[in-house]
Amino acid sequence: MIELNNIHVTFNPGTPLENHVLRGIDLRIESGEFVTVIGGNGAGKSTLLNVLAGEVLAEPGQVKIGERDVTRLPAFKRADLVARVYQDPLAGTCGTLTLEENMALACARGRRRGLRSALDTRLRGRLQENLARLGLGLENRLHDSIGLLSGGQRQAVSLLMAALQPMEILLLDEHTAALDPRIASFVLTLSADIIREQQLTALMVTHSMRQALDVGDRTVMMDQGEVAFDVKGEQREGLDVADLLKLFERARGQEVDDDSLLLG
Amino acid sequence: MSLIAFLGALELGLIFGFVALGVYLSFRVLDFPDLTVDGSFPLGAAVAAVWIVGGGNPWLGTGLAMIAGAMAGTVTAWMAVKLKILNLLASILSMIALYSINLRIMGRPNIALLTEPTIFVPLESLPVSRYVAFPIAIGIGLLFITFLLNRFLNSEAGLAMRATGENSRMASGNGINTSVMVVAGMALSNALVALGGALFAQSQGSADVTMGVGTIVVGLAAVIGGQSLIPGRSILVATLACLFGSILYRLMVAVALNADFIGLKAQDLNLVTAVLVGLALVLPKLRRRRRVA
Repeated sequence: MIELNNIHVTFNPGTPLENHVLRGIDLRIESGEFVTVIGGNGAGKSTLLNVLAGEVLAEPGQVKIGERDVTRLPAFKRADLVARVYQDPLAGTCGTLTLEENMALACARGRRRGLRSALDTRLRGRLQENLARLGLGLENRLHDSIGLLSGGQRQAVSLLMAALQPMEILLLDEHTAALDPRIASFVLTLSADIIREQQLTALMVTHSMRQALDVGDRTVMMDQGEVAFDVKGEQREGLDVADLLKLFERARGQEVDDDSLLLG
Repeated sequence: MSLIAFLGALELGLIFGFVALGVYLSFRVLDFPDLTVDGSFPLGAAVAAVWIVGGGNPWLGTGLAMIAGAMAGTVTAWMAVKLKILNLLASILSMIALYSINLRIMGRPNIALLTEPTIFVPLESLPVSRYVAFPIAIGIGLLFITFLLNRFLNSEAGLAMRATGENSRMASGNGINTSVMVVAGMALSNALVALGGALFAQSQGSADVTMGVGTIVVGLAAVIGGQSLIPGRSILVATLACLFGSILYRLMVAVALNADFIGLKAQDLNLVTAVLVGLALVLPKLRRRRRVA
């Protein structure tokens, strides 16, 4: 289970640029739950994700992942609990390393890394098996540097990489936003499949209301650093974009003013 | 160029091969432009020389030189990682500080080693000339170190180090302590450079406090020149390209300074170096432009 208690984040505190990005977020995510997070620009979605990943530390606030209090742990110390796919397809991989080297890196996420050779026949077999499910022919390109792959291919590989090792939560940060629509839907379906198969707990940030409703089993809408509403189960069944807008208006007493949310 | 001059250039190229491997590690693998090497090269020479003149075992002295180099690299990396000093600037601070430290270690600007029992002494009793024996011995040592470096960079920890230099955000997301990786890599890099310095002092017969000037440029010449002539992403190809670059650089300098018709003299060495590095930087781009056109 994931627990966020009264999370506040302020960038540049005490300066003219002070920005109170998260204003007291409380969120509990049950094991196996797939939460989609929606919100306009500056709503705090990515910061929330960064708080979970450890790239931003809450002040004040408490973050618990599994049974562990990870509030003060930097990203590399909680990598055994958190896996992540970034928005930028280039961010989740190392361009000059080969496909297999990138995947070997991810295979050791959260483990001690020693002087053993990073790759061996057994691991290569496992990686090929993994890549074959994409149906992109990448299983025959283990020795290619990953920079030769297209953005969509790289993002699909990033997703596989994230799922290679056990984790408490998978974080997807608008991971289809930079892709063309066809590849985006491929990556989204793949994400949903992997999350279901491995029964992962996941949190997906998205810009698109449609996407937020199409996948997952719970939707959280954020606005100005707070949770505007949080729907799941029966309440969420059969909702469409117009209903989300109504929910938002009821919760915040104002209309959605971010076009990108409606266009997505 | 005479055969002796050729073998001498080859020997220097092989010694600076250690420097090239060190610079490859900092500049290419960690993406850390490291001027510490201008200080850690003479540091290695100074430590080994003082130890040997003091009657110590030359092999142990060479090992101590590597440890001293590793310490210098650690300080630079620590300034960059913990004190958040811009990496280039941190390395300049180390470089300038090492000048004083090297003078302190040596107690005077230079130490002669010609008559001292260096690690090369056993080679002098061989039936072959020193000009042949030294490059062969150094070449074997260099290949052995290159092999070890390859093993390391292809290990789990080595892969983590490469990821740190390439994409540190992704690296920490995968549980890699990037600070530790930068410190370890810089320590290893400067240990290799100091090893080069220790070997240089022992084979050339003296350690001098000014011998480090331009070490980084020579290292870059080897890395950039070698890799532009022998492209290839794999670690094995890249490291061998650096060694090739180092030897080629020395041969080109030897040719430039020895060919009477060009009219260059020994004091033009640094000018020649700068021109060669400049060419190594520009030529690959020209080649690419021609391919596009």
